[in-house]
Amino acid sequence: MTTTSSDPSITEEPFYLPVHDEVELFTAAYEQRIPVLLKGPTGCGKTRFVEHMAWRIFGQRTDAPTQPLVTVTCHDDITSADLVGRYLLSGEGTTWLDGPLTQAARTGAICYLDEVVEARKDTTVILHSLTDHRRTLPIERLGETIEAHDDFLLVVSYNPGYQATAKDLKPSTRQRFMAIEFTYPERDLETRIITHEAGVDEPTARNLAFLGEQLRRLDEAGVIEGPSTRLLVHVGGLITRGIAPRRACDVGLVQALSDDPDVQEAVTQVVEAVFPA
Amino acid sequence: MTTLRETAELEIAAAGDRTRHSLALYYRALCGDICSLVPYDDGSSPWEYADTETTVWLPREAPLDDHAEFDAEEWYQVAMTHRAMHRTLGTFDLDLDLDEPLFTRLRPTDTGDPDVPSLQRLAGLFGNSVLGVHIFATCEDLRIDVATDRLLPGLARPAKAVHHGALHERPQPATLFPRAAAIEALVRYSLGGSIVWAASVMHEPIARILSVAKHLRDPRASVETSVEAALRICDILIDLPTEGAHRSTHQLSFADLDTTLDDSRFDVATLPERMRDAEGFAGWYHPVAYRDWPGPRYVGAPAADASLEAFLPLIAQATTAPVHLVDNGDEDTDDQVRGQTTEQSASGSAPEAVPNLRPLVPLVGGEPWADLDSPLTSRAPNEFVYPEWDAYRSSYRPDFTRVRVLGTPVKRADHGHYRALARYGHLVGRLVRELERVRPDGRTISRRAPYGDDLDLDACIDAAIDLRTGVEPSDRVFTDLRQRRRDVAVVFALDLSASTAVVLPPDPEAPGTVRSILDLQRDAVSLVSQALDRVGDEFGIYGFSGSGRDDVRLSVVKDVEERTTPAVWHRMGGLTPDHTTRMAPAIRHLTRRLRDVEAATKIMFVISDGRPFDIDYGQQYGEEAMLGYSIGDTAQALREARDLGVHPYLVTIDPDGADYLGAACDPGSYRVIADAQDLPEALAALYTSVRGSL
Repeated sequence: MTTTSSDPSITEEPFYLPVHDEVELFTAAYEQRIPVLLKGPTGCGKTRFVEHMAWRIFGQRTDAPTQPLVTVTCHDDITSADLVGRYLLSGEGTTWLDGPLTQAARTGAICYLDEVVEARKDTTVILHSLTDHRRTLPIERLGETIEAHDDFLLVVSYNPGYQATAKDLKPSTRQRFMAIEFTYPERDLETRIITHEAGVDEPTARNLAFLGEQLRRLDEAGVIEGPSTRLLVHVGGLITRGIAPRRACDVGLVQALSDDPDVQEAVTQVVEAVFPA
Repeated sequence: MTTLRETAELEIAAAGDRTRHSLALYYRALCGDICSLVPYDDGSSPWEYADTETTVWLPREAPLDDHAEFDAEEWYQVAMTHRAMHRTLGTFDLDLDLDEPLFTRLRPTDTGDPDVPSLQRLAGLFGNSVLGVHIFATCEDLRIDVATDRLLPGLARPAKAVHHGALHERPQPATLFPRAAAIEALVRYSLGGSIVWAASVMHEPIARILSVAKHLRDPRASVETSVEAALRICDILIDLPTEGAHRSTHQLSFADLDTTLDDSRFDVATLPERMRDAEGFAGWYHPVAYRDWPGPRYVGAPAADASLEAFLPLIAQATTAPVHLVDNGDEDTDDQVRGQTTEQSASGSAPEAVPNLRPLVPLVGGEPWADLDSPLTSRAPNEFVYPEWDAYRSSYRPDFTRVRVLGTPVKRADHGHYRALARYGHLVGRLVRELERVRPDGRTISRRAPYGDDLDLDACIDAAIDLRTGVEPSDRVFTDLRQRRRDVAVVFALDLSASTAVVLPPDPEAPGTVRSILDLQRDAVSLVSQALDRVGDEFGIYGFSGSGRDDVRLSVVKDVEERTTPAVWHRMGGLTPDHTTRMAPAIRHLTRRLRDVEAATKIMFVISDGRPFDIDYGQQYGEEAMLGYSIGDTAQALREARDLGVHPYLVTIDPDGADYLGAACDPGSYRVIADAQDLPEALAALYTSVRGSL
């Protein structure tokens, strides 16, 4: 079973502020059809970035595929059939159904495999022929090999610090991708993102960004998974809707980051240092 | 009055003080550094408790009185913030060659050997006097407090209240000799004070001091600004008498003073000579309790046990090379410390062991084992309670020990894992090959699965028949091809007791390197886990220590189902020796952890350097019974593990280990490594042997 999502109509530009040169890098990779690997912590904007790039590439094109971006959220039960496709049983016999990867390869969409290391290694091996000069996808059950559409691009992402039972990508898979590493945005940039996404005023957004910066030091210590920009946006959203900043941080940050009372106490103290009562 | 002691008594009752723990985490969030937070008793001299890079000293009781507009929690938060902001805002990152925007530079162009860290050269600008360093620290205190108000508006109210409280504690300058009175005026100004009582003759020097100090309130002020300010202030102070007091004083408002800066009157060129041997604050000074006392780290030394006064003569001699003092904290890998230990080895004199942490201070009064039988409870999701085996009563003491599972700090600068691989890499390949021979391979096929790679023909026929006959068909018509699950899970438990800080004799194969027992344990586990990672065996790495039955700490370097990332190896570097070895609760907890893991074979290695010991581990039966009690409990925990399907192995580098383990443990459950240096190879061989035999 796969978890796929696709927005067939990327007509509006998804909001995204570049952190470094990732837009230029992705554009150059796309022009060369070099598969892209996005690395970075949770909630730092990888998925939004891919949506944004899909809009940049296909948003103005009249010949864009119906579904320009096909996203697959990987997990450890995903199989190659989930990506490529499978026969389904019907009253009349069997019917072939393309998987999301095949669909993207046929139509020339961007196929985005989110958290790809969660998928089993034997599953990711099917990506190999799509990610080298061949750009083909063999479908054994159909007895055919399809050639990827000229516009097709494979993008995968993973979070190196994320705890999971799966292992890193195999070198033979990893070395087929150009890697773009994402980090949390700098304070000024994150302030702008929070302001835009949460609709909160600039000073509050700046305080939230500063707070995130402080708490991420506990991530380095392995105490918590540092607060993502997404989490800070959620807190900003609560503040926008009239929740007091300390209370919004309590329910949106403190409780979300840890169940350990000592850690919660420490995070609360940082919140209270940043936001007046 | 709420005190740290009372808080500890209420909430923790023995070590692992949660207040201190959360304050340490708060400190880490603000500045990114690890610290041990240690209380000192009332009446102690603060200058005996100068903070180091890794240790923060705070009074055991917050200085509250009836007029205080803050509570103890707020006071400690302000105190920790002040210390953290020193780190964040660069007090210890001084660069004497860096310009700053607020003063005309009076620092000499040549401040000494550029290879010597700036902080070590700092005192030289003040004739290597304690006074110069203290004035620099006071300037920094002022700059830090003002900047903190800007950066942390949520702390503004309690900070202001604490500053106000500190102001009330100040001595009356009228009783002080002129230089001290002028310093007192500066301190009051740094605390937000607006008046001081002073003789008329003091107005002019105080006005000049404030004309300098006010620049430290500027948002652009940096640590280099504090150096410029301190030079000017010292130039004023050094000409003031150090004896006698003015009888006639009156209130002086800072606002009424002309604080226009006149740089033409300063003579910094002759300042070092004029300041030589000038005494610091300690003799007459009433410290500001929430601020750290300036110790050797203010002149670039991470040392814990040397006073600034003792260290400055060394600084004075350091004209060509950095001065080194060994820190007894856990961040001992900086280049200075490494440089020193290497020199010691090269000269043939064995380096001293890394000093033990501070003596255990029972947080509850009386003997630590006085409250012997009361059962413990788990107070947080990361706490677990276990029984203890009393070999002398031949029965369990229920709910007798409490294990607290903690994260391990990441030490990014530590590359011990990679050094270990460089040294023992040749063993990894061999170990991998040997382990792969016993690694399960192949795949399993699940038929009639709801999802899968292919249709299951039999299920499809049945479904087709159902469809034709009008019966609702099953949707389980697939075959699912799955890689066989790994069938081994292994955990490594490293002894983190204080004795693992002991430095081993020099290794002839690696001259010039100094390694502790803990380093060797880390090497051994790095080596084996690298091989496990390659063959796909599930593994976890933990460290254990503690200080009492209710404070057994289990530090998680890598949980058994966690993915291996570089952060794991950085965490390994973050393990530090700490207190005692109560082994059995750690074994019981890891047995429980393994019980939750799906694996056919479960193995536990406990790696230690000596006998189990804790502050309340059998002492009630007398000193001579302690060993029997602790070994009995440990052996029982090993038996419990075996009963639950875990294969435990106790590995010790104590040459006398067989003497006490042999009497209580099954012969197959422990291994004594005669030469500690052999531990990495021995652990690899033992693991291969164990895997082959199971």
